[in-house]
Amino acid sequence: MANIPPGGDRRSPLAFDRRKTAMVSTHLELLSKMSGHLAVTLNLEETIQKALDLIVKFVQAEGGALFLLEEKFATLVCKASAGPVDIRGIRLKSGEGIVGQCVTNNTSRIVKDVRQDPNFDQSVDESTGFQTRSILCTPMTVNKQKVGAIELVNKRTEDGLFSETDLLMLQTLASAAALAINNAHMAEELVEQERVSRELELATEMQRSLLPDTPSDSFPVFGTNLPANEMSGDFYDFFQLDDGYIYFSLGDVSGKGMDAALLMSKTASLFRCLGKTIHEPNVLLATINRELCETAIHGMFVTMVCGLLDTKTGSITIANAGHEPPLIHARDGTFTALPASAPPLGIMSLQAGDNGIRAETFHLEGGTLYIFTDGVTEGSLEDGSRLGQAGFQDIIRERRDLPIAARIEAVVSTLSNTGRKRHDDITLLAVEDARPELRNTIDSVEPVMVARHTFPARAEALHTVREVVNNACEACGCEPEDATDIIIAVGEACQNVVRHAYKDHDTGDATLEIYCKDGILEFRLQDSARPVDREKVKPVWPKELGPGGLGVCLIHDIMDQVDYLPPPKDQGNLLRMVKSIKRKNSNET
Amino acid sequence: MKHEILKRNGATIVAFKGEIDLESSPAARKILLRCFDNNSKVVVDLSGVTYIDSSGVASLVEALQAAKKNAGQFSLAAVSEPTRRVLELARLDKVFTLYDSVDKALDNPA
Repeated sequence: MANIPPGGDRRSPLAFDRRKTAMVSTHLELLSKMSGHLAVTLNLEETIQKALDLIVKFVQAEGGALFLLEEKFATLVCKASAGPVDIRGIRLKSGEGIVGQCVTNNTSRIVKDVRQDPNFDQSVDESTGFQTRSILCTPMTVNKQKVGAIELVNKRTEDGLFSETDLLMLQTLASAAALAINNAHMAEELVEQERVSRELELATEMQRSLLPDTPSDSFPVFGTNLPANEMSGDFYDFFQLDDGYIYFSLGDVSGKGMDAALLMSKTASLFRCLGKTIHEPNVLLATINRELCETAIHGMFVTMVCGLLDTKTGSITIANAGHEPPLIHARDGTFTALPASAPPLGIMSLQAGDNGIRAETFHLEGGTLYIFTDGVTEGSLEDGSRLGQAGFQDIIRERRDLPIAARIEAVVSTLSNTGRKRHDDITLLAVEDARPELRNTIDSVEPVMVARHTFPARAEALHTVREVVNNACEACGCEPEDATDIIIAVGEACQNVVRHAYKDHDTGDATLEIYCKDGILEFRLQDSARPVDREKVKPVWPKELGPGGLGVCLIHDIMDQVDYLPPPKDQGNLLRMVKSIKRKNSNET
Repeated sequence: MKHEILKRNGATIVAFKGEIDLESSPAARKILLRCFDNNSKVVVDLSGVTYIDSSGVASLVEALQAAKKNAGQFSLAAVSEPTRRVLELARLDKVFTLYDSVDKALDNPA
């Protein structure tokens, strides 16, 4: 398209119409060209320079400048300049000169002769040697927000004057430029955000690299850390020493932000570094404490447990500074807490020993030690309630026969698959006594079936079922109190089969199998009735006392574990109930 | 399950023996509720009960509710160990009025 400048031909009305038409199409061409440029570039300086060049060329000005407001709208800074002199960088006070007036009053101006205008600031001409005669200036705004202004000088026509058409044109172009500037600003912010998030990503990666690698299945220590946000204030670590010792540690830094994460990194590094030479956990904690106190960050502290496992004997020496008590889950099913002997680290000077950080030594005897942060016990379940120590123990107890990794994963998935936002990091460490000779004795005890009894699902049959259970309990060396409870629970379970599973019209048989293994009794009750509604067999203490709901509660109260297994042949229901028992004439409790 | 009904000092004493389970609890329920037809003070002697399940406990609860509705008195006496255990587990040991013996139950208002 031919570039016909406005005002180039003023001879006839017909020519004027042609000129107008041509001008409109050139407007459009310029706008689309500018938009094209502005769309591809998100670099601010490049954007405004291109925009200004196009405008100056199109309006046929000798030169031009684009000013942007800076310093909270107090100063106008020239960001792009076109024409014989480069005035980029010059700064004007907002309100100063013709440009400043335009911005402040948000109005455009056509100044035919600058010498007649009191607002004209001659200092720029004086310093550059350029002679300004006429000016066209328009402010730029985006969403009513002042951005800056575009100023054109000296029209390249005979009279050297800017017209109203030129002004209209400049205003249109200025608003397009303002929008582009705004976009470029946003793009810059985006780039900055991207940079910060990339840095956070790197920091997260760096922090994760401080955690130990996932060990092999047979390794007796397993840990996990699931941060609530990118960075975690929790840590755990473990590494092998000579002679079959494994050093392990878990800590929780107060607070949650980046500062907590950095202190966590420092503490974890201290543990790994000092642990190589200091083989007494309480002395190690005291040394780390000294380091943390020396470079104390105001108000921050670390709760920390560290210990040494002798894999040859299953003995553990452990020290706890202000941390939530770790739990020992013994082979007999009991849990024992190990409370802290000292305050958290980083607060005050602490000595290793009876008056400061104590070390305790005990034998795992085939059991497992669990160390965790309060993000575990205070973590929310699906219904919003807290997991608590009891809930944690339930999860562990139900999976006592699984490998430690699976037990830990079960706790984590219970807390992380709730559909709720987590507010705290989840960190857990399990240390088990995995001596091969012990494993053999555990594994060599196959569950033995002590009874199998099939009975018609009728009320009259329940008396015999109870006798079978009683005999089985006796055969397994069960204490009478446990036997009484077990009979109550199994009786209720059988009663539920009679009352609910088969209802009135539907009758059939049920089979009870009783297994004994290592102080644990397992009852499997199989029926071939329609599958029960699991929701209805959850223990909810009935407000209106009916026998059904009460029975389920009794079962759950008495048994350590109650669950439904997939029934063989996919038919009916298979209820499993597990109870660890006290045995007569046995030291195991 | 066997049972015996005695009248003493204007009260009805029901003594159950054996097992109150799903099989026998409907009978126990009928016996207990019938007692309120002609007397408002009922004492249940549970000394001879060797086993009670949730359906048996439900019968006792229903009798207690009937007594409260009719401004009657209902107490359990000489509760056997297995029965006491179930009441404890069911958190009902505080709901019922328990007496060590039938005599003490008769001496006291339930």
